[in-house]
Amino acid sequence: MDVQEEIKKAIIKVHPGVDESKITPEASFTGDLEMDSLSMVELSLAMEDSFGVTLPDEELADLKTVGEAAELIKTKMEK
Amino acid sequence: MPERVVITGYGAVSPLGLNLEDTWQKLIMGNSAIDYITGFEADNFNVRIAAEVKDFDPNAFMEPRTARYTDRFAQFAIAASKQAIEHSKITIDDENRYETGIIIGSGVGGIGSMEHQVGVLNERGPSRVSPFIVPMMICDNASGRVSIETGIRGVNLSLVSACSTGTDSIGIAYKMIKHGELKAALAGGTDASVTPIGVAGFAKAGALTRNNDPTSASRPFDANRDGFVIGEGAAVVVLETLTSALHRGATILAEIVGYGATSDAFHITQPLASGESAVRAIELALNGMSTEEIGYINAHGTSTPLNDASETRAIKKSIGSRAYSIPVSSIKSMLGHMLGAAGALEAIVCCKVIQEGLIPPTINLNSPDPECDLDYVPNVCRKAKVDACLTNSFGFGGHNSVLAIKRYS
Repeated sequence: MDVQEEIKKAIIKVHPGVDESKITPEASFTGDLEMDSLSMVELSLAMEDSFGVTLPDEELADLKTVGEAAELIKTKMEK
Repeated sequence: MPERVVITGYGAVSPLGLNLEDTWQKLIMGNSAIDYITGFEADNFNVRIAAEVKDFDPNAFMEPRTARYTDRFAQFAIAASKQAIEHSKITIDDENRYETGIIIGSGVGGIGSMEHQVGVLNERGPSRVSPFIVPMMICDNASGRVSIETGIRGVNLSLVSACSTGTDSIGIAYKMIKHGELKAALAGGTDASVTPIGVAGFAKAGALTRNNDPTSASRPFDANRDGFVIGEGAAVVVLETLTSALHRGATILAEIVGYGATSDAFHITQPLASGESAVRAIELALNGMSTEEIGYINAHGTSTPLNDASETRAIKKSIGSRAYSIPVSSIKSMLGHMLGAAGALEAIVCCKVIQEGLIPPTINLNSPDPECDLDYVPNVCRKAKVDACLTNSFGFGGHNSVLAIKRYS
């Protein structure tokens, strides 16, 4: 599974209208992608569904970039 | 000196059309929007009919991102508000944004979103609940979203008075403008409660008709009426001071000259049979206007046995013998009951009656009820020159709300 690609799909789903070309590993959620705290929580719910993992709200707060989210998901999936 | 308050624009999303003009054309043709429920599977419901808004595309009125996190009731409000602003040609800018307000209420709020998320909570647990559920369900999300979409920064309220909501929202905005608190306002109501819990709840309260024939179910003032048909939609007007309207060369559609609101202090769902508090509300709305001037009364006319009889009584008590020569009609016969939006759409219909010289009918009125003995404009629209109207709204909780609307001169 291409984690990065699945996260991109989840972002497009929960944050319609986002500039898809900006969804890179370096992209920051709140800056580059203009997501707010509510849409970040929506994203975590979508990622839970996509990857079958659990993402508590406190872990979400530490995520700054798409790449960081991908790393966290990969770690969780390996466990 | 109180300001005179005029209506300079309106917009609507209704079961008969996605704008006011389409809705009006269907109303004067006596067309009904009532049909079998399509929004959810209603086969095991006792009530299987409603007046639903059809083919509404929220993305035509707002960004897809906004639409995704906005309940249908607030989407309707955004659409109606944008239409009203366009119709009035008012510009919201740094000169007027803090002097312009929004009072758009809802009877029920985001009940569809609430229902969906309660399902998520029960099936998957609290950690799976959407972070948007609170903003999506609270009634003030309609006025809040409209503020974001329009840039209006004055008073921002969502007034809740059940089926009187639309009338009270316009009434309170009228009062604020009249007394100099605001120069202009968007005012109206919205609801989207044709959902499983909405239909089941109103049905169990005995408010909805048990007649599942869409063509005959809503029959205000008819002897065989047995409840209302639930509807949905939004209606919003632009109100402003006469000074402001004249200054910017706006087309003045009508003037609001009175608003009366009272409470029954009686029962949570039933109206006071004597209509005593409704009489007082009508008298307050008349605000010194002679009953001789009234050319049309837009009835609350829900098609429930109790409402139509007590409303008739209240009209006769407040107007006297002249009540028999005033046309009274209920557009709920065609639109169902749009709940919080109903009163606002009905106020707009009063403007149209004044402008167009046509009174929409009460359809399905075939069997006279001795308790309902006024001229209800049965079944076909009527030509009439009307210079002043009253529009009545009553709601669960004992609300009685009446607006008086006149031709501007």
